[in-house]
Amino acid sequence: MMEREIHISPQDLLQAMQFRPGDFANIAIVSGQPQRVNMALEKLKNPVKNFSAFGYTFWTGEYKGKRVTVGNGGMYAPDAALITELLCVGGVDYLIRLGSCGALKSEIKLGELVLAESALRGDGVTKYYVNNDGFIPQADKSLTDTLEAICKKHIYRGKVWTTDALLRETKEVINNVIRQGGIAVDMVTSPFLTISQLYNKKAIALLVVSDNLITGEIGFSNIKVFDAERRMIGYAFNLVGAIDA
Amino acid sequence: MKVLFLQPPMGGWVTWGKHIAINVNHAQLAANLREWYPEINIQVLDCRALGMDENQMIDAIKGIQPDLVYMGDALQTTGVAAIHPRYQAAAKLVKQTMPEVKICVGGFFYGANAPEMLAKTPEFDFVLYGETERTLPELAKELSKKDPDIPSVKGLSYRDNGEVKTTDYRPLIENLDDLPLPAYDLFPMDKYIGFNYLRHYVETYHSRGCPNGCRFCVGWTNYDPRGNRDWTHYRIRSGKRVAEEIELLVKKFGVKFVCMMDEDFNVYRSRIEEFIEEMKRRGLKVPFFFMGRSPYHLRDKDLLKPLREIGFVCGLFGMEAVDKETLEKVKKGISVDQIAETVRLFRENNIMSVVTWMVGFPDDDEVKIKDRTERIDKIDPDMTALQIMTPLPGIPMYKELEPYTEDWDLRKWDFQHAVLRTKYLSKEDLGRLAAWANREFYSQPGRVQRILYNKKYHPFCRLIARSYVETTDAHARAAVNDEIFV
Repeated sequence: MMEREIHISPQDLLQAMQFRPGDFANIAIVSGQPQRVNMALEKLKNPVKNFSAFGYTFWTGEYKGKRVTVGNGGMYAPDAALITELLCVGGVDYLIRLGSCGALKSEIKLGELVLAESALRGDGVTKYYVNNDGFIPQADKSLTDTLEAICKKHIYRGKVWTTDALLRETKEVINNVIRQGGIAVDMVTSPFLTISQLYNKKAIALLVVSDNLITGEIGFSNIKVFDAERRMIGYAFNLVGAIDA
Repeated sequence: MKVLFLQPPMGGWVTWGKHIAINVNHAQLAANLREWYPEINIQVLDCRALGMDENQMIDAIKGIQPDLVYMGDALQTTGVAAIHPRYQAAAKLVKQTMPEVKICVGGFFYGANAPEMLAKTPEFDFVLYGETERTLPELAKELSKKDPDIPSVKGLSYRDNGEVKTTDYRPLIENLDDLPLPAYDLFPMDKYIGFNYLRHYVETYHSRGCPNGCRFCVGWTNYDPRGNRDWTHYRIRSGKRVAEEIELLVKKFGVKFVCMMDEDFNVYRSRIEEFIEEMKRRGLKVPFFFMGRSPYHLRDKDLLKPLREIGFVCGLFGMEAVDKETLEKVKKGISVDQIAETVRLFRENNIMSVVTWMVGFPDDDEVKIKDRTERIDKIDPDMTALQIMTPLPGIPMYKELEPYTEDWDLRKWDFQHAVLRTKYLSKEDLGRLAAWANREFYSQPGRVQRILYNKKYHPFCRLIARSYVETTDAHARAAVNDEIFV
């Protein structure tokens, strides 16, 4: 039988990567998609690589005088959980996630943006962190308000449902989510907000709409989505500028 | 005598998005006609540019009352052989309402197939055999006589009491500087648009032929097969004359982007040097695109910087295949390493690279096509233009490809549809793999964004890239579902 309390802790993992306290900035911008990370990285002055391991790479540099960490923070709930926890333990206080989502309202168009106010937990990973089915992780309201003001238009706020099963978004499942107030679906926000909240960090998730489950539109390669990704990164850095940290 | 240059209503090449370009063949022929036979009345009707449907076209032609209608092109990019059904449909309508009007076609596709195409197309009266640029004016002149002597006009097929006859071979024009500049003033220059977004857009054509003579190249079909490899007899407008033409386009017509459609612009280093010098001397800087060959770019790598300075923002060069055996079989005359190095040099000089490649060689199987896709992914050009082998009569590979041809509907003979099988793939599998390969290239994370948001590239390049991305779905619909676009 296993006698240790835990096999690998976040501290163990950071130590294995020769991570030193202070390597991360206290603001981090994370995304699962490598092209978004690369575009964000272009905005950093003097970026220094923190680590590159297990397929995750992080850099910390400067943006308008503030230190900012940028990296790929997971595409799906399990790896998002892992990276979010490493960031929290590694000293990040403000976590900004740039992701994608499918809209659950017909009026939300491809290339528009969704700000997650909270998450509905359809993922499998957060139950290992929170033993309470009724727990609804929240984004930081102040950051959300600020980012909404920065984005100005074509942005929707609401609950985002996180699933692990992209190919099982059936009518029954989705309509149940809509009845619970969900306006979008993704595969990351729930663990991202849950773990950030458990560590008392301020977190926010901004998602570009890449498809719409109501209209059936799929736009993973749609130019509007690419353009929105670009705008989203600009907004994230504007938020960095507005954070008093 | 009234000659009408007619571009009938038609679509365009799917990969080029919304693409309404001047017909470079018409523009040159109109200029030649005006200079050599000024007594002949010249009219132009570009229905595609003016957004006219067939009824509007016929009404307009009735108003013009031409004696001779000419349709033809010099460039494959209008739609390869898919232009023929469009021309035939337009000719049929003209003949139904104005049976006395003579109809002539020529240029791309017809140039190598005049007798056969005339025999197959009762709506046509004449098909030009080989180079059109002297033949059409001479034909118009001859038709203006009371008793025309058609057999005396070299380089055409005609009917004599229902029998198709062909006149003597017409030698090529040796010095393109002897030709007047295209008659841009006769065309609706403000209506042309390239790549969905580029207005004030023009296509130009400053040379003829290509010295390399790749065996699959459809450029061969502009030329009379009775000639001595006319396609490979490369002829140019001098660099000075090209600059003069660009100056005219910029200053008189407000052109903002020049798409040079020469099949091979950079054959002679001296010409490129002269062009750069002349553009600089005239103080011209306008974004332009040209097609060239990779080995010449490598030979002239020191010229990329000065070319970029005068506006060379985007260039296309061909790779077609990656394995030595196929490259040798098609006589491509390049190596994959040369392509990779050219891509690198273009990127170093902030010039967007577009690499053409092909599927549908007779030996192609799934492994070969996927390997080709992988190799081009590694070479990592900014954009690619994937073409599906189309077996045009007149190309050196035609006899080899003919047994594999399964779809003879010329509406699909546009490089974007699978019309043949290979030894190992069905026509349907070839189309599916073409769509797969194109999607694979463009769906690699960050590849498209690298161009779309890279300020080192000219804004027009970013728009061209945007257009390519917007058309990838349509490319698949052509390759897999046989949707018609031209």
